[in-house]
Amino acid sequence: MSDPRNDVLGVGLLGEGLHHPGEPPAGIRRVPTGVDGLTTEHLIINMGPQHPSTHGVLRMLIEVDGEEVIAAEASVGYLHRGIEKLAEHRRYNAIGTLMDRGDYVSGIHGETALALAAERLGEIEVPRKAQWIRVLLAELNRIASHLVWYGTFGLDMGGMGQFLYAMRDREALLDILEAITGQRMMFNYVRPGGVIADLPAGIAEKIRVFTDTFDAYLDEHDALLGGNEIVHDRVKGIGVIDREKALAFGLTGANLRAAGVDFDVRRARPYDAYAEMDFEVPLGTTGDAWDRYQVRMGEMRQANRIIRQCIDGMPEGDHTAKVSRVLRLPEGEVYASVESSRGETGIHLVSDGGDTPYRMHYRAPSLFALQALEDVLPGHLIADVVMIIGSTDIMLGETDR
Amino acid sequence: MWGAGLINGLRISMRNMLRGPITVKYPYEKLELPERARWSVTPKRFPDGSPKCTACMTCVKVCPDHILDLEFETREDKTKHIDRFGYEVGACMMCGLCVEACPFDAIEMSHTYELAVGSREELAQVLLGDVDAATAAQHKAFKAEVEAAGGEGVADE
Repeated sequence: MSDPRNDVLGVGLLGEGLHHPGEPPAGIRRVPTGVDGLTTEHLIINMGPQHPSTHGVLRMLIEVDGEEVIAAEASVGYLHRGIEKLAEHRRYNAIGTLMDRGDYVSGIHGETALALAAERLGEIEVPRKAQWIRVLLAELNRIASHLVWYGTFGLDMGGMGQFLYAMRDREALLDILEAITGQRMMFNYVRPGGVIADLPAGIAEKIRVFTDTFDAYLDEHDALLGGNEIVHDRVKGIGVIDREKALAFGLTGANLRAAGVDFDVRRARPYDAYAEMDFEVPLGTTGDAWDRYQVRMGEMRQANRIIRQCIDGMPEGDHTAKVSRVLRLPEGEVYASVESSRGETGIHLVSDGGDTPYRMHYRAPSLFALQALEDVLPGHLIADVVMIIGSTDIMLGETDR
Repeated sequence: MWGAGLINGLRISMRNMLRGPITVKYPYEKLELPERARWSVTPKRFPDGSPKCTACMTCVKVCPDHILDLEFETREDKTKHIDRFGYEVGACMMCGLCVEACPFDAIEMSHTYELAVGSREELAQVLLGDVDAATAAQHKAFKAEVEAAGGEGVADE
């Protein structure tokens, strides 16, 4: 027991950088409660990193008093691949492959964030058609990502059917994305200057078939979870992240909008062709898990609306600006962000004039949501923990980078 | 009424239960890949069977995973002989950057997606081995041939 790494409770496994060796991490108290004269003790549960409901490789340390969570601590880094450092050794058109593997369920958003940053620094004018294609793909990818969230959110509550129906719709989307980009998830399609290839022939009809059927499917999805009284009883009022807390923790995306804050990067700082799109930003009121559910379902409807506009109004023209094969950006630094499926995904590029970034920072919205979780989880039951994690739609790939 | 949603959910489940399967029975049935699907890298050849690769090393330099490996000798008359064009398919992420960069259209992302093998050694593929690299003259002749047939010439740089 002298070496904290051998601590069977797993508390010592967090490493020496985070807390003093031998002492439990901050927030976790190992005190006997002594209820009714019994020497009962708080129990520390190690959840993950291989827990199926932590949506990746999140590790949570949860201190419980019976069924009630007293303190929680998220431990990240189990999926760390050094994306920021690797990017320093990649040319700008190859960094997209890393961004795909950050938020791996919505890769287009990461690629677009990088492309926008490089374009802003290099003052590259993107053709109108490329902007529209990016918006089209971003929204297709947003639905695909939200469907994964929707399916797993139900799985966390013990429902299986809706997960399979969500995957059915996602399959149609991935087929479309594969036909356009060449791969189902690791697209490597959006590049500084535009996109790598024009839309293939006949894809508009395929997308139209999807958008026409998806609204009805979405009603079905909403009926399965949103119309289910057991789900109401389970979800309403838990995991409340109110307006002040959401802003204080720096939440973005659906988690912030569920608290009623009207902030959407697509609206606040329009990029690509979003200024030309007609869409609404769904808002919640209280910021509980139910509001987050409603906001994301609304976002899928709006995304479907934007896709329809993109198909109808797709302009003619080039799909990419003239960019040299080895792109060199001028000295300087720039920040660009997009509204990804999880919030504001940003890229801060520092260039020293070479063909690779001097430094690249990747703002991952899930990391902020995770920090809020530590504050939100205490007071809930163990069974609610997985649901609150599920409702915030965290993605460990981008958290750990 | 509490429970109406549950009954509606059951109705949806029943409807889905009675419809046919939407999946295919792989490997007996296979879905068709879209034209742009990117799978393992394969070398392209001229109609006479000789490789289009000129051993210019462009693909090796752009590969983000450093999994392409080209060993060649340059003879006195400047022609090249490829000893081994190695490709570690297990580490390939099929990003397609090598194919984009190739100035001679000498490699392509194939549609071969059944890449499971029995041992780790088999993952190290040899795309081209012990063969003469293509020359500029060969590419020029091929380009003229394609253009004569009405096709588009290879983007030569």
